[in-house]
Amino acid sequence: MSEDVGQQREVPINRAGMTRREFLRLTGGVIVLFALAPAAEPGTEGQPGPDSAEDLNAWLRIQPDGRVTIFAPVPEVGQGLRTSLAQMAAEELRVSVSCVEVVLGDTARVPRLAADPDEPALSAVGMRVRAAAAEARELLAAMAAEKWDVSRELVKLDGGQVVLLPRPGTAASIGELIGGRRFVRRLGRPTPLTPPSEHQIIGESIARLDGPAIVRGQARYVGDVLLPNMAYAKLLRPPCLGARLVRADTRAASAQPGVIAVVHEGDLIAVVASRPDLAEKATRYIQATWEEGAHPEMSTLYQDLRESAELAEPARQQGDVEAALAGARRGYSASYRAAFVAHAPIEPHGAVATTEGDTVVVYASTERPFAHREGVADALGLRASQVRVITTAVGGAFGGKDGAEISVQAARLARAVGRPVMLTQSREEELTWNYFRPAALIDVRCGVGETGGIIAWDCDVFNCGARGAWPPYGFPHRRLRSYRCDAPLRQGPWRGAGGPANAFAREVHLDHIAGELGEDPIDFRLRHLSDRRMIRAIQAAAERYGWRAHRPPTGLGVGFACARDGGSCVAEIAEVEVERLSGQVCVRRVVVAQDSGLVVNPDNLRNQIEGAVVMGLGFTLREAVRYEQGRVLTRSFASYPILTFRDVPRIDILLPASRDLPPNGDGTPALCAIPAAVANAVFDAVGARVRELPLPPASIRAAANR
Amino acid sequence: MARQSEGIQIRVNGSLYRLEVDSSRSLLSVLRTELRLTGTKYGCGAGECGACTVLVDGEAVRSCIFPAGHAHGRTVTTIEGLAQGGRLHPVQEAFLEAQAFQCGYCTPGMIMGAVSLLRKEPNPTELEIRRALADHLCRCGVYPRIIRAVQLAAAKMAK
Repeated sequence: MSEDVGQQREVPINRAGMTRREFLRLTGGVIVLFALAPAAEPGTEGQPGPDSAEDLNAWLRIQPDGRVTIFAPVPEVGQGLRTSLAQMAAEELRVSVSCVEVVLGDTARVPRLAADPDEPALSAVGMRVRAAAAEARELLAAMAAEKWDVSRELVKLDGGQVVLLPRPGTAASIGELIGGRRFVRRLGRPTPLTPPSEHQIIGESIARLDGPAIVRGQARYVGDVLLPNMAYAKLLRPPCLGARLVRADTRAASAQPGVIAVVHEGDLIAVVASRPDLAEKATRYIQATWEEGAHPEMSTLYQDLRESAELAEPARQQGDVEAALAGARRGYSASYRAAFVAHAPIEPHGAVATTEGDTVVVYASTERPFAHREGVADALGLRASQVRVITTAVGGAFGGKDGAEISVQAARLARAVGRPVMLTQSREEELTWNYFRPAALIDVRCGVGETGGIIAWDCDVFNCGARGAWPPYGFPHRRLRSYRCDAPLRQGPWRGAGGPANAFAREVHLDHIAGELGEDPIDFRLRHLSDRRMIRAIQAAAERYGWRAHRPPTGLGVGFACARDGGSCVAEIAEVEVERLSGQVCVRRVVVAQDSGLVVNPDNLRNQIEGAVVMGLGFTLREAVRYEQGRVLTRSFASYPILTFRDVPRIDILLPASRDLPPNGDGTPALCAIPAAVANAVFDAVGARVRELPLPPASIRAAANR
Repeated sequence: MARQSEGIQIRVNGSLYRLEVDSSRSLLSVLRTELRLTGTKYGCGAGECGACTVLVDGEAVRSCIFPAGHAHGRTVTTIEGLAQGGRLHPVQEAFLEAQAFQCGYCTPGMIMGAVSLLRKEPNPTELEIRRALADHLCRCGVYPRIIRAVQLAAAKMAK
């Protein structure tokens, strides 16, 4: 929190004479805003207001009728954020969730948040919403105490009014207390949050507020936006990755039915037409000449990564790893690999853009509306304040829609044709032309000391980043080096970034060492752990599964893995069946125990974890982007098979919660631990130690029949 | 070149439409662009993901690969037409009860697929549900809840 400017200071606003910009200049920072009349809206939908300023940043507004509006920068992408935020505000203000309206992801209406991208949104945003709501509660309580001339302890907010505790009949409504005045408060002093023991709304499985719209088909995604006079665009794509457009003859395409314009601006070439299908058809009539670049080859991927590696950040080190490895009784080294993976949301990328004077409005499908705003402003030579990004419902993102490219393209096209333009991708475009999860190569060197414990851990991470790579175990000598590499495919953010790949390498390696030493995999980990939350999660998972150190052979394989991510600890156990002849793996059961701090909405967290297990099984068992001669080969769901109903195991979820920690709950931790849990179960089943994702059936088959 | 326009007559969610459209256009394109029924989603354009599932004469079809002309003279039900008189269809209710969605994009197609399944098999086993919906994809991974929702809906409809 910044300096304390949150004294009991009231800033009356002359509503007639002061613009919102002036008002903001006066207040700045983070504000809690109470108003009798709705504050001047920064812009009605579809057009930015004159004051859609950079620093527009109210987190919360309370109307005199008790209605609460919260404003948050992170959109709903299916993670249940809208509902969880409403719960947090409702808890602090002691109102029902139905009194809370949530405005998300509209850059002209919500505050900007400078947060660590690895911090879960629920925690980053939720804690600010709670702080704002708690501050508002205290202000209202103080006003009531003053009105009744009693101390603060004797008044309490309850159901949208303030009550006087000694005389239960005495109450004041929020409107009465505000009395037509406007109060602006900047979050300064940390206001005490409602302690977990008193929670009535946080911790409840409240149904998703957007659920009814979803089941009626009324949730509005970017492809459902309809603006007057809107046209539809389709890009002409190059024949292969890295190709450069040399020239294009667009005359024949321009003459096609429904075509409004063929736009060719530098690297951007697209047809804009009255209907999406007509735009798509007309692109085939563009005569384009491309210059192909170097063709990345899949066969040399991991070698290329290693050869192009440069240290991305200073090595992280504790103790003296080299000396400890040299003095170790036994050493274990191995390399681990993870393929490029596509985010593959069912809703392909899309954007709608419209220009009005010198401003641009973009309807975007993204988790990062402010990044899209900056991308569009940069590309069009505008100030950020001239661009408004309105996030629609997002049909899956998983980190794949952070990049602003599609919004930039739509905005350029809208400016070129002078009318609103919708640009959407086909499934093939979605799987070919967006960035992928980075492929990973991870080398681990490990030394075991005289007492059979790990004394040295040395990890080199290539290309996928260091997230989750620092071991959560108390190995006395540890080193982590992360390398940037020349990747042959476009790569970018992914749910958990390198977390799943790094946990895979570590947890498979530990399993291997435990096996070599004849130790139970869980006991072996526990002897290196001191983190009580992690220990508790591991014990919970083991107990639920019925883990036994020396199991009789059953034909099934059981594997364990654990991980830390974004403030959560997770332990997972997978039970698999392996078909020896084909090497195919069938995952039958998964147990997840995840401690994510305070749980805001348990059912929603379970939903997220279940989904993460399913998605994680996809890239554990079969997902890989394949390419050849600069062409991505996996361009459809037939060639890029994500998990289906047929593959889903029984999933048991336990939530051993540390309620005093911030709410870090999402599915990412569970996503991190699942690959190793399955790989370790495969080893348990058939003795195949596989160090590559997705687990290649051929390797499993070969090892199983050795 | 686009074929010459011809008239198509379709009953959609109870209303009769006469459309002058190229009959080879996909039913999905006609529903979304001409009728502005945007609850039905595009996911793959190849009949592989099920997001575009609608009912034609009660039968689930992939509207992204179903030519609009084939719907001529037939009855189409989309997600917008399931609720009757403001009351949700039992399958919609069950999806809410089981909270069987995350991003919600595949949900309309899932619901239509489930409605079609329950018409044919009012009391499906879990295995039958998995098989019947196997070609409906959900990237958020909500499958276990969708299975529960279909079971819940079956129980509701049996009453």
